[in-house]
Formats: sequence, C-alpha cells, structure tokens
Amino acid sequence: MKPKTMKEKSKSKSNSRIMAVYILLLTALLATFVVSVCFGNVKIPADRLARLLFFREGEETELAILWKIRLPRVLLAMILGGALALSGYLLQTFFENPIVGPFVLGISSGAKLSVAAVMILFLDKIGRMSSFAMVISAFVGAFAVTGFILLAARKLTSPSSLLVAGIMIGYICSAVTELLISSAEDAHIVGLHGWSQGSFSGAGWDYVKVSAIVVGISFLLVFFLSKPIGAYLMGEAYAASVGVSVRAFRVMLILLSSLLAACVTAFAGPISFIGIAVPFLVKRALSTARPIVVIPACFLMGALMVSLCDFCARQLLAPTELKIGVVTSFVGAPIVIYMLLKKTKERGIS
Amino acid sequence: MIRLSDLSVGYHKETVVKDLSLTVKPGEIVTLIGPNGAGKSTILKTVCGALAPVAGGIYIGDRRMTDLSDAERARQIAVVLTEKKRTELLTCYDVVALGRYPYTGRLGVLSDEDRARIEEAMELTGVSEFADRDITTLSDGQRQRVYLAGAICQDTKVIVLDEPTSYLDIHHKLTLLLLLRKLAEERKLAVLMSMHEVELAVKISDRIVMVKEGAVQGIVSPDELADGDRIAELFNMSPELMEFFSFDFGKRGIDT
Repeated sequence: MKPKTMKEKSKSKSNSRIMAVYILLLTALLATFVVSVCFGNVKIPADRLARLLFFREGEETELAILWKIRLPRVLLAMILGGALALSGYLLQTFFENPIVGPFVLGISSGAKLSVAAVMILFLDKIGRMSSFAMVISAFVGAFAVTGFILLAARKLTSPSSLLVAGIMIGYICSAVTELLISSAEDAHIVGLHGWSQGSFSGAGWDYVKVSAIVVGISFLLVFFLSKPIGAYLMGEAYAASVGVSVRAFRVMLILLSSLLAACVTAFAGPISFIGIAVPFLVKRALSTARPIVVIPACFLMGALMVSLCDFCARQLLAPTELKIGVVTSFVGAPIVIYMLLKKTKERGIS
Repeated sequence: MIRLSDLSVGYHKETVVKDLSLTVKPGEIVTLIGPNGAGKSTILKTVCGALAPVAGGIYIGDRRMTDLSDAERARQIAVVLTEKKRTELLTCYDVVALGRYPYTGRLGVLSDEDRARIEEAMELTGVSEFADRDITTLSDGQRQRVYLAGAICQDTKVIVLDEPTSYLDIHHKLTLLLLLRKLAEERKLAVLMSMHEVELAVKISDRIVMVKEGAVQGIVSPDELADGDRIAELFNMSPELMEFFSFDFGKRGIDT
C-alpha cells in the first residue's frame, strides 16, 4: 500500500499547487483592478471606491471618472488580455510550437489592416463604425492571414521558416496599413494612428459589452475543447487514435484563435508578446500542461498582465500615455528570449 | 478480432500496398516486416483509422470500420505510435489517462472506474512507479511502456503498434516484447505491429506478413522464415550478408 499513499500525497501536492496559483492570480487581478481604477490624474481614495462602485454614490467628478473612463478601460484590458492569451494558447496547440502567437504570425496585423481599410473606406458614409462591425472586419483580416499561414505551413515544414513567413506577413500588413492611414490623413481619423499602435485609451462601455460577449462565448467553447486539446498534445495521429475528430477540431482551433485575436485588435489594436509569454508562464507556474487547468489560468494571467501593462502605460510617463505595445514588449520579449534559450539548451542535451 | 479484406492502402487514392487479406485473432501477434519504405506504416495508419482505405475493407468483429464513428473506433482499436514528440509538463499518469478518452465525459474528468483501469494498466506494464514523473524524463524504453499502458487502459480488443522496439536497447526491446506476449495471451488481445528486427519478429510473432514493393509477399509462420531464404529475398541480401546475419547466434560463437 505504500506506493499508493505516496501517489496520493503527490497528487494532493500538485492539486494544492494549482489551487495556490489560482488564488494568487485572482488576488493579483483584484489588486490590479483596485489600483487601476483608483490611481490616475485624479486619485480616488480606496475607501470611497466601494460606495462609488456599488451604490453609485459620491462626488460627481469621481463618479464620472470612474464610470466613464477608468472602469470600462480596466475591464476592457482584462477581457482582451485574457482573449489574447487564449488565442496564443490555441495557436501554439495548433502549430505544436510554443513560440507562435497572434502577433508574431501576423494575424493581429492582418486584422488591423482590415479594420483600418474598412474605417477609411466607409467612415465618410457611415460616420463611426459600430463595435460589431469592427469585430467582423477584424475577423475577416485575421482569418485571411491565418488562411495564408495555413497554406504556407503546408510548404514550410520547419517551424522557424513558418515564423519568418508570419513575421513578414505582419510587416506587409503593417506597411499597407501605414500607407492607408498616411494617404487618408483627415480629421476623421485622428485616432486611427493611435489605435493602430495599440491602446486602451478609447475604451467605452459598448466595446466592453461586445468584447465580453464575444470573448465570453469563445472562452466557454475553448474550455469545452480542453479534452481534445489534451489528446492533441500527444500529436495529431495519437489524437485521432483515441477518437478525436481531428479535422473538425483543427477548424475549431483556427476559428476561435482568429476570432479572439480579431476581437483584441478591433478594440485595442495589436498587442505584442502576451500571446506567447502567458501560456508559457502559466504552464510553468502550474507545473502541468493539462488543458483543463491551463485554459482558465491562461485567461486570468492574460487579464492580469495586460491590465498591469496598461496601468504602467498610463502612469509611467504621466500625463503622457505610452502605447500598450511598448510596455508589453518590455515585459514579454525577455520572456520569449528566455524560452528560446531554454529550448535550444534542451535540444543540446537530447 | 480484426479482419483486413483485400485491403489496399495509400495516400490520396495512390496505392502504396495492395490486396492485403489478413485476420488477427484474439491472443495472436502478427508482425509486418519488410524493407524501409515498403508501406508497413501506411498499412498500420490505415488500420488505426488515420488514413482511409484506398480499396477493400477493415472489419472489427462483423462491423466495417469505416461505418464506425471516431469514438466507436477508439473503443475497438488502440494504437502505440513511434512519435518522438516532446510533450512537456505531463506526468506519466496524465499520458496513460488519455487512453480513457473514448470513455470520459465532455470535459474528460476521470471517474473512479477510469482511475482503477489506469492504475491496473500501469501495474501490468510496470510503470506505476513513474506515475508522477514528467514523461520527458523517462528513457525511451520506459516511455514506450507508458504508451503501451495508455493503449491497454483504452480497453480495446485490438492493439496496433508501429515499430515499438525501434530506438530501444536490447534489454528494453526484450522486456517490451515479452510484455506484449503476456498481454496478448492473458487479455486475449489481437496485436498487429511492424518491426525492423527480423530476428525478434521471428521469436515473438505467431505469423509474419512480408511486405515489399507495394505488395504482400506472403504471410508465413516463424518457422517458415527460419531457413533464411525468404528473408534474403525480402531484404535483397546477398549470401555474404546472410552469412553475417545468421539467425543462430550460437553457431557464430556469440554468447546468448
């Protein structure tokens, strides 16, 4: 009976580790939320926050700042941060490669180009684009690039050449977007340039609502894919052998990751590195790759990192606001470099 | 029991091996041998459902395999593939538990019965002690036994293995083969596999399928291979090579 008790002991050890990580993530997320809504040009004392938040009672300016500016911004950063991490996780599963994400594969840039084109072409006619229209146009762009990557992946079997192809597509899409924006310089699109660099400064409640719906549904679908994702970790042929309908599963992966990336790009512009760094950190922290625990943690960690980065973007050089991509690059790029080094080292040993 | 009836296999309607008819009965081990590129893996991929048959049929009991859903098929045939995939941060227990995939619910949560089956399979293959170890920290031989445990707890009547002994040292090759023999007999499993090591295939198999250049050269008993002529022909080996190869290690003065 000895080995059994040992097994049980280590099982509960791994469970308590998972529990600890989740508690830590939730606490950190809550703390970030409080700090983000309280700090800024106008400070809102934390002791007044509860009344402002739950009873909507308090000083007029504080109410306005909280409800019109900070709350939607913080919530949007959290929702989209989670979406970004999930999108990266799905792409990594699909390509069986930990160094891919919506940004490096050019998917974010494709979505950006598509939104910018629609904005510029139709802005005169329809005034401001509706939130759903932005998501849809971003999805078209994201999906077009994903389709291209899939075609390229047939020819380019090595992961590194696939990455280079993705980065190149990203550059091309960004260049075309810049071209469009520069050539259409007029009063309507003052905000367009800022958006195309990535920022949450334009967050409003309609963005929050639409992204909550799109991301919420996508999250549930991804969560219910955790069983086939688990089998897929052992390779495509293995997944098929235990009964995964591989073709339908792969289509789901691609659609969901494109949709999530598109939603982020539509409302905040392209944000780099989070999609790669978060799943990596989460798996290390949890010390397991089991999707059913990794997926919700990815969402929480993505929400945490992006809302923290957004807070830094607001506060570091206040009143000047940094682009979110500047901060996520500082945080995310070193993690990705570390991942690459670690991978090379492992390969050296085996 | 699994029956292949005039089966032709290949990619995109292009035939790689044609007209294979074979029945593997419960408790029986049948091994495919032949030169590299002969189409052994293609046959096995087709049998386990990763490729559609080009012609002919595969029957499990009296049901045609192409009529089964993915989940139904997974309850009939388990597969051990030789993939050198590095999946980090999964314990051996996690990997074996994937074998219960066809039986678990939508989220893949394990029931008590699932856990009992997993532990039983791990004990049978002697990998219980590795339950909490990361799968990447195991040796190739140990890992192969973990994969086999996964296939066993999939609770099927047929197990397909693609070159299960490649990359293993001789100790682990023999351990694995003896284990397969035991499992086939005790659990009445029909085992269909491919192997490179002809001398071991002869020792372990009930029947041997010789595959070469897109055709089945014959299905023979191990004894029928013992004189070496068929092997020489199958692998295009000259008399010098055959003399060097020689089955009977005792004759060549090598301690066995």
